[in-house]
Amino acid sequence: MNKNNTQTNSFSLSNDKVSATILLVPALIFCTIFIFIPAIGTIVGSFYSYSLTSMNNWKWVGFGNYVKATQDEYFWVALKNNFIIVFASIVLQVGVGTILAAILDRGIKYGRVIFRTIIFTPMVISSVAVSLIWLIIYDPNVGILNAIFKSIGLSTPSKGWLGDPNISIWMIMITAAWQNTGFMMVLILAGLQGVSKEVYDAAEIDGATGVKAFWYITLPMIRNVLIVAILITTIGAFKVFEFIFVFTQGGPSNATQVLGTYIYLQAFNLLHMGYANALSVILLIIALFLGWLQLKSSRKA
Amino acid sequence: MSRFKIANIIAYGFVTLFSIYVLMPILVMVLTTFKSKREIFLEPLGIPSQFGISSFEKALSVGLGSFMLNSFIVSFFAVFLIVTISGMAAYVLSRIDFKINKFVYLLIVAGFAIPPAAVLVPLYTMVSNLNLLNSLFGVIMPLTAFGIPFTVILFYAFFLDFPKEVEEAATIDGCTKLQIFFRIIVPLSGPVIASAAIFQTVWIWNEFLLALIMLTSDDFKTLPIGLLKLRGEWTSDWGAIMAGLTIAVIPVLIVFLIFQKYFVRSLAGLGK
Repeated sequence: MNKNNTQTNSFSLSNDKVSATILLVPALIFCTIFIFIPAIGTIVGSFYSYSLTSMNNWKWVGFGNYVKATQDEYFWVALKNNFIIVFASIVLQVGVGTILAAILDRGIKYGRVIFRTIIFTPMVISSVAVSLIWLIIYDPNVGILNAIFKSIGLSTPSKGWLGDPNISIWMIMITAAWQNTGFMMVLILAGLQGVSKEVYDAAEIDGATGVKAFWYITLPMIRNVLIVAILITTIGAFKVFEFIFVFTQGGPSNATQVLGTYIYLQAFNLLHMGYANALSVILLIIALFLGWLQLKSSRKA
Repeated sequence: MSRFKIANIIAYGFVTLFSIYVLMPILVMVLTTFKSKREIFLEPLGIPSQFGISSFEKALSVGLGSFMLNSFIVSFFAVFLIVTISGMAAYVLSRIDFKINKFVYLLIVAGFAIPPAAVLVPLYTMVSNLNLLNSLFGVIMPLTAFGIPFTVILFYAFFLDFPKEVEEAATIDGCTKLQIFFRIIVPLSGPVIASAAIFQTVWIWNEFLLALIMLTSDDFKTLPIGLLKLRGEWTSDWGAIMAGLTIAVIPVLIVFLIFQKYFVRSLAGLGK
């Protein structure tokens, strides 16, 4: 009997290993083939010079592509634009999203679901469709932005809203905020709804109400959610592609490039595959660093 | 009391203004669809005098129907694969004490951090060498891979909270982990499966970059890439472009309005 029992156990143990392996392996295969091997390929390829047409003609250039990047003014423009988008997105999307969430949580009584649904809606529309919709709004001939500005007697930019890089980067931000603020609002709202009513009652006894209570009591309590929101926004800001691809193609004269569009330009328009790989490695390092931050913060939470 | 009133007016005013900012572009899109060329040019802020459908015919002529079908096929298969594969992997990671599990989990989190743009060239070369450019299979596979890490993390959190008693009883009855997973865990995981499927459907339906480099033939383009063709074909015919967008966007909005509770729930869970 005893012997039999041991046998069953050892049998089921090895059986467990078999089934566990069967369950785990597909995920590993997919991620390895389509994420990790290409990631290694990016790193290896960044030390070579080659183009798509001469696939067998790889030339070792060492750190040449990285040196080229440091001397490439447009790379720095792209990186700078990514950072502008990070900071502006945090202010516009997380900042305004927090205000909206606070209002929907305790600021108003009626219409919460309607407002939440409306504001969240753009999240489900593809960024390409969003860009094309905003393209007509910014259009200098038929756009309503021009029409509104003219109707209240303000002047409009002479090169159009998307023709001057100093203005167009902000138009990109307004469009990105249009699409993403509702997402941040919902995320933060979920955090706010976790704050118990007793906390507010206690605060009221201490004389903290309204905005004051929100600033000193609520915000610190949803700190973790805010960190997640900021990290998601930052990661999203480094992935920005469609708005710029549709609005400006990175122009005029590369002034609105970001890393994503600049990698695409180098790889698929200029066929500088090695250089595109080096730029990708830089994006990869930034992305992994942000991922590590996210992991660290979620463990604390 | 009046201070309270003012605060109330500001609160309602702010959400109302923001809602107008959100709704206005959608309204412009729909109204422009019905306007004549003359109206679009002369009265950007006006409403159409009649509801013509000629713009819709122009928009459909670029092949929106087939782009939508391609998007549907890609989304269906990729989401099915992502949810199945991720659920299985997350279950093992949350239940079985393999020594390498911690390493595998870290690997998955790293995979979540890597954006498609950072592996664009090797991925394109690989798909090209496999002769899978311009095939739906060639985008479904990498899209599935990029959807897995996030979904594993989502399922993992769910399974950690899942009561273990039922499984222990099943183990005593002699079920293998494989049987437990498919017969006990899956039927009880409805909410998290719905969340994961909704999240991934939205992402894949709208995915642009990988589809852009892999699908250059009109026969295989998905909707986001196909929409660019509207602009190429009808350069300044805004009525036709907006009609195409209306066709592409309105069905998604209707689905969203029906399921909005689940959308919100699946996204809200991210912060936890």
